Amino acid sequence: MTDSTASERSFTGPLERVDGCCYRIPRSYKAGMLVDGLIFADERLIGQLRADRAPEQVANVAFLPGIQTASLAMPDIHWGYGFCIGGVCATDPAAGGVVSPGGVGYDINCGVRLVRTSLTLADIQPILVPLVDQMIRDIPVGVGQGGNRIFSPAELRVLMQEGVPYLRGRGLATDDDVACTEAEGCIADALPELVSDRALARGNDQCGTVGAGNHFIEVQVVDRVEDPRAAAALGLEQGRICVLIHSGSRGLGYQVCDDALRALRDAPAKYGLTLPDRQLVCAPVESPEGRHYLGAMRAAANYAFCNRQLLMWQVREVFERVLKKPWHALGMELVYDVAHNIAKIERHRVGDGHKDVCVHRKGATRAFPAGHHDIPDRYRAIGQPVIIPGDMGRASWVLVGGPRSMERSFGTTCHGAGRCLSRTAATRAAKGRNIRDELSRSGVIARSRSHEGLAEEQPLAYKDVDVVVDIVHRAGLSTKVARLKPLGVIKG
Amino acid sequence: MHEVFEHTADLGLRVTAASLPALLAEAAEGLFEIIAGDLAQIRARTSRTFTIAGSDPVYLLLDWLGELHAAFEIERLLFREFDVTVHARGLTATARGEPYDPAIHTLAHEIKAITQHALDVRQTPSGWQATLIVDI
Repeated sequence: MTDSTASERSFTGPLERVDGCCYRIPRSYKAGMLVDGLIFADERLIGQLRADRAPEQVANVAFLPGIQTASLAMPDIHWGYGFCIGGVCATDPAAGGVVSPGGVGYDINCGVRLVRTSLTLADIQPILVPLVDQMIRDIPVGVGQGGNRIFSPAELRVLMQEGVPYLRGRGLATDDDVACTEAEGCIADALPELVSDRALARGNDQCGTVGAGNHFIEVQVVDRVEDPRAAAALGLEQGRICVLIHSGSRGLGYQVCDDALRALRDAPAKYGLTLPDRQLVCAPVESPEGRHYLGAMRAAANYAFCNRQLLMWQVREVFERVLKKPWHALGMELVYDVAHNIAKIERHRVGDGHKDVCVHRKGATRAFPAGHHDIPDRYRAIGQPVIIPGDMGRASWVLVGGPRSMERSFGTTCHGAGRCLSRTAATRAAKGRNIRDELSRSGVIARSRSHEGLAEEQPLAYKDVDVVVDIVHRAGLSTKVARLKPLGVIKG
Repeated sequence: MHEVFEHTADLGLRVTAASLPALLAEAAEGLFEIIAGDLAQIRARTSRTFTIAGSDPVYLLLDWLGELHAAFEIERLLFREFDVTVHARGLTATARGEPYDPAIHTLAHEIKAITQHALDVRQTPSGWQATLIVDI
């Protein structure tokens, strides 16, 4: 493995300070930018911000036809492909606005869900090692690991149309599970018939599998409560054990994105688009290509909700096996499930009026404020729950949608800590060390299918999630509710 | 020759070769090294023929690697040797390897896709070179 030079990777363009938690890349930076770039960050992150090509990608997204207000990025920003990770872009379909599969990413509806329990730290500590060992034995995780349930193409098409309610019909989800999932686990207007046979073949045995990369299942404890009222509404209190699940639409979703990029190869010529990066290829939302992609993407998103639902179901079964009590008796209720790679048509205030815009969130989480009609009744008074996984050594966070998210970020906040070390650099940094033992000494039981899984995902590969969350809190995008500490994790 | 280069979230692959067919074969080796680590653990026990239509070297590379990746994802086929012929209508290739067997093979990475970000294939004075980023 080799390094490219730091200068090749770094961003040397303008970053103008807007306020204590936001920087601007002015539209004048590059001919072709239709709006400014705005990056939520502060002086603690500015060095890391310049260290890779992510700000250049923020500028590139500002080229997309129909983009509204600004090309945005959250403080967990880092170099992705096409869009940066942490990127947000809203386009106006009525003004020729486009949808870009690269603005969603290959892992359509990658997201997280948090499950609470009635267990305390004292309950879990004596059985933590056998519990984590049982999880990695029973729950498919890692490269090449098929799932415990195989769906026929016909079943998959119904699953992609109906989402989590389909699993409820098969006894694999409850009414509360459905109610506590974004969009109640089913995004409307999905078109499963547009999902290719290859995507179905990749997805038929992967619903209910974690995958690899940065995906994981983690047992956590509520370490600190910052907002007691919101925490109470979410059923969280200090010392309470939770489980965080991070995965997406697996091979099915990756293939839907790949198929769309192939179908859009001629779109720039057909629609007269000038794009600075091939991965930003797009089509007007109101075009045959745009409607096709959105229909297939929604189908893949519903598959992803079902994937996380089946993972949660398996987690409940593992807890039942180890603790010898039904999961209901262990209080294992879903707190919330939220997507962080998706494009949605949403109504937002733009300028002096309101518009239906296509909001792309690529490594960014919807964060609607209290009172929004899309929040489940039980949470409407506190704001939409936002779940922010950090790294496997330090912390994760629960927040709720903030008072300024609608005006500043199309109702969006960050999605994680964000990487600060490349995978190759993290692997180098792991040489001669035993990450599993290091984590164990700090009180975290880590189990992984591969050496690469722990080396590349070690805590130092990530920014400090406390800093990232502090910025979105101060910016009013989402507000802190509770901090959670990892206790045990399974990874690919 | 091929080498993995730094990318914050994913992995980059830089490939050089004397000819376009050699470049495509070399890139395929790089792809399976990312998936499986050491190619020496894969035995050439079965072969598969691939035909890709097209003339743009960028899309030939993308589609060729995409087909190989799909063969791993759907049929769990790991390849280690590649013979590639490029002609006016596209490419024809034979890949040799064997099905993934957890008792024999270790895997290193799950590749989600071969991205088009910064994807580049070009002829140089000394041959051909390609740069691509895979989504991990």
